[in-house]
Amino acid sequence: MNTNKNEKFNATTERREGSCTVYLSGELDLSVAPDFRLVMEPLVGDSEIDLVINLKDLKYIDSTGIGILLSILKARHGMDARFVVEEVPSQIQRLFDMTGIAKFFAASRNSQ
Amino acid sequence: MNAEVQKVVITLPANADFVDIVRLNLYGIASKMGFSYEDIEDMKVAVSEACNNSVLYAYGQEGGMVEVTFEIGNDQLSIKVKDDGESFDRMNRTENTVTLHDKDLHDVEIGGLGFYLMEALMDDVMVDNEAGRGTQVVMTKRLMRSEEKV
Repeated sequence: MNTNKNEKFNATTERREGSCTVYLSGELDLSVAPDFRLVMEPLVGDSEIDLVINLKDLKYIDSTGIGILLSILKARHGMDARFVVEEVPSQIQRLFDMTGIAKFFAASRNSQ
Repeated sequence: MNAEVQKVVITLPANADFVDIVRLNLYGIASKMGFSYEDIEDMKVAVSEACNNSVLYAYGQEGGMVEVTFEIGNDQLSIKVKDDGESFDRMNRTENTVTLHDKDLHDVEIGGLGFYLMEALMDDVMVDNEAGRGTQVVMTKRLMRSEEKV
């Protein structure tokens, strides 16, 4: 178990035709929230692409991180653009279920 | 050794860059006590939310400190997060600890999830908020002795 390792947050963007996937790793908390917002800002407003966030290597998220995901969800929903959160680790999925944000992710996956 | 409570106290700058240090300490103490991986993850989230509140609301621009006390009991771990900042109105806040379950996306407001998570993830959460004397959050997780030793 390597949970006691300091997991530095990182976001890697991969663009493909018609879509953009952002891979998150490490710990997404209050201290790196501005970095994450900065990465996402230019992508969120682009209605031409399918926006995907991949959480496979994300070790930890706090309410700040969940709040940012929620604001992206709202923005994308408002402009009728696709937004998917994929490969959510079980521990993080639990927090999504607990807070109730999970149902919005499910809805954005099913629509369109 | 039975009823005795041992304390570990750390004092950190009320700055977002130090919240991960609290998580690392928590991990060390809780795993040594024999908490399960899931329980430790739950406590990590809850304690971080309490620290976030101190970082975000308790202090203005100038850097204050946050004191985190781990009270290691025989069958429970209590974590106290204390700041001396201008306490914000947390009592009103606790009434806002609603989840998003019964809401439409349009009605969702960002924020307010932190307290909900603390209460959902710990066995017991107490918020003590004296005007002008800072805020103290005490949260407790009971140690479930499972059949299999990890």
